[in-house]
Amino acid sequence: MDVILLLELAVNGIFVGLMYALVAAGMVLIYKTSGIANLAQGALAMTGAYVVVMLASAGLGLPIWAAVPLAMVVMFAVGAGIERLALRRMIGQPVIMVIMLTLGLEIFLRGLLPGVFGASVKRLDIGIPNAPLFLGELLVSRAILIGGGVSLALILLSILLFNSRFGIIMRAVSDNQTASWSVGIRVERAIAVAWGLSAAMATTSGVLWGATQGVDWSLSLLLIKALAIAILGGLDSIVGVLIAGVVVGLAESMATGILDPIVGGGTRDVVASVIIVVTLLVRPHGLFGREHIERV
Amino acid sequence: MALTRRTMLTGAAVAALASHLPVRVAFGQDRTVRFAFMQDFTRIYTFVTSEYSQGQRDYITLVNGRGGVGGYTIVADISDHANDQPRAIEAYERAKAQGAVLIDPLSTPVARALVPRALEDQINMITAFSGRSDAADGTAFPYVLPLTPNYWTQAGLLIDYFKQQDGGSLQDKTICFVHIDTPFGKEPLPILEKLAAKEGFKFLAFPYTPPGNDQSAIWPQVRRARPDWTVFWGAAVGQTVALTEAVRNGLDMSRVSSSVWLSESDMEVVGKDQTVGVMKVEPCVSGHEPKIIQDILTEVVAAGKGAGPQDKVGTSYYNYGVMLAALMVEGVRRAAEIAPDGPVTGPWLNAGLRSITAFDAEGMIPPTTITPEDHQGGGYGRIARWDGEKFVPQTDWFSANQDIVWQEIRKYSEEFKKNGK
Repeated sequence: MDVILLLELAVNGIFVGLMYALVAAGMVLIYKTSGIANLAQGALAMTGAYVVVMLASAGLGLPIWAAVPLAMVVMFAVGAGIERLALRRMIGQPVIMVIMLTLGLEIFLRGLLPGVFGASVKRLDIGIPNAPLFLGELLVSRAILIGGGVSLALILLSILLFNSRFGIIMRAVSDNQTASWSVGIRVERAIAVAWGLSAAMATTSGVLWGATQGVDWSLSLLLIKALAIAILGGLDSIVGVLIAGVVVGLAESMATGILDPIVGGGTRDVVASVIIVVTLLVRPHGLFGREHIERV
Repeated sequence: MALTRRTMLTGAAVAALASHLPVRVAFGQDRTVRFAFMQDFTRIYTFVTSEYSQGQRDYITLVNGRGGVGGYTIVADISDHANDQPRAIEAYERAKAQGAVLIDPLSTPVARALVPRALEDQINMITAFSGRSDAADGTAFPYVLPLTPNYWTQAGLLIDYFKQQDGGSLQDKTICFVHIDTPFGKEPLPILEKLAAKEGFKFLAFPYTPPGNDQSAIWPQVRRARPDWTVFWGAAVGQTVALTEAVRNGLDMSRVSSSVWLSESDMEVVGKDQTVGVMKVEPCVSGHEPKIIQDILTEVVAAGKGAGPQDKVGTSYYNYGVMLAALMVEGVRRAAEIAPDGPVTGPWLNAGLRSITAFDAEGMIPPTTITPEDHQGGGYGRIARWDGEKFVPQTDWFSANQDIVWQEIRKYSEEFKKNGK
């Protein structure tokens, strides 16, 4: 086996994994506050990318450096709005129904946005050149390198957020909403802010992936990878997501390079599915997630 | 007047009879030919359907605006099957009930699912750039008509062009084939493997998981294989990602090619300047140059009767739509020549479609002859290269490797004749 090729696959896999981890971090943000696995995270990433396209060249003509932050603000409002208009009405309903609601939202957005903006792939140019970058004999994709770097920075920022005063509030809300109310925490607002922040993070993911592949409905498929990472890392652990992202990215990339030639292809997506199944069977709370123990 | 049960039932019966009478009269007297363009506007084939359908509708408006063809006007029914087989079957049955004599599903899985029905009901099913490649054999599939070069022929055209470019030999060259891991993506594999054995080149296939939005681990392998030529074979986001990764991996764009499924909008997504030199198989002339497109612009679009945005007129996929509509209408013209008074049925149109002779749509397509044996039309196409603004033809219309292609067609069509699969 070609050692340089393996190194290339490893490096690209790690950075791709970090880009996936950013989508998963948005899921963790919501789970840590409201205890719900948001199955609309992929669709939110897609929506954010469509909003950037609409604000930038294809729509209002804003420069990309203005369109991206503006889209994040818009998506923050969208995320908070989803919580206010949909999720809050579900208070008191079984958790499974709330999760089904997020799944419904995913399907709804996946159908709505291509219908509104057209189903063809849209160009999203954030100024990263496509020209190959060689480090010795090793080729690294600039888009993946920068995308992975930005994702890493944002995930580290999330870790800081969880150690801030607001992070402590979010953890308190996640642990016990009634107790949080009783000590004066505005639970609904904390959850709405978490949804807003998660949607803004999803926008960044959508932009980074949109710059790599173009913008279309398939961005919503990021959900599967994000889910695998969040389950492996632990649905309530940002550090876990960071490490699991690297593991999943690396495993997928190496499987494509090593197993595909042997079995004739198609192993990349199998990796994510295997990770989900094996983690749930062996360690349901993930590598770094908190194990919930109930006294009976 | 009080509404009794009896008057209501009588009224309903009269209304039902009345609603049927004019339809029968219309079928008998109007001299219309009904086409059902049931296509995927909302799911998988969205990258092509809107432009393709726009081209078809504009051409039919042009023909009807000139009084029709052979004394017949064309009715085009548009519906969305969303690449979903139950919906497609429902749309098919509706089209059949309404008297459609031709359907164009533009979807490989839907076309495959509808083959037995189309054959049994004798409704002409057009499977241009989709469906089964072995449907080129008209003796096995009398009512399934690709009318265009199938995927095996497209692969054969590309390999022949590579050979021409490399001084007449591909001996010891390396050709990489990056494809979506679906039946459509795998379709050219047997032909490419046979041609590799015949021409002596090393053939490497790299499948990617559909829809192909992450191919970052595939293309480093392609680059390190040091290919002399690379062919990428997918659709929609798979094509733009493949091309982007090819650029990022520093592949020589002048030695990278695809099938008919590459369009101006794909080049725009990847970057018009970065993809200069990329090739594709062209089944018809693209752009505004063809006389038919000029006529559409003046008689349809300028008159405000266009079916979609004007800036899409002349794109590759728009022109594919015009090309197919022109072939269908030519089939009607021939059918009307053979039997001027109809009746308009599937077999009536089938006789016309299978007698199209050297039809070139006023220079827009290669001279195409459809016979009861050959539903592919000779397997002609040309190779075009992206120059940063448009695809520029590099060859004249040509056909290549048809001996190997037809061996494969007959192998599978004989199997179909035996066991219906």
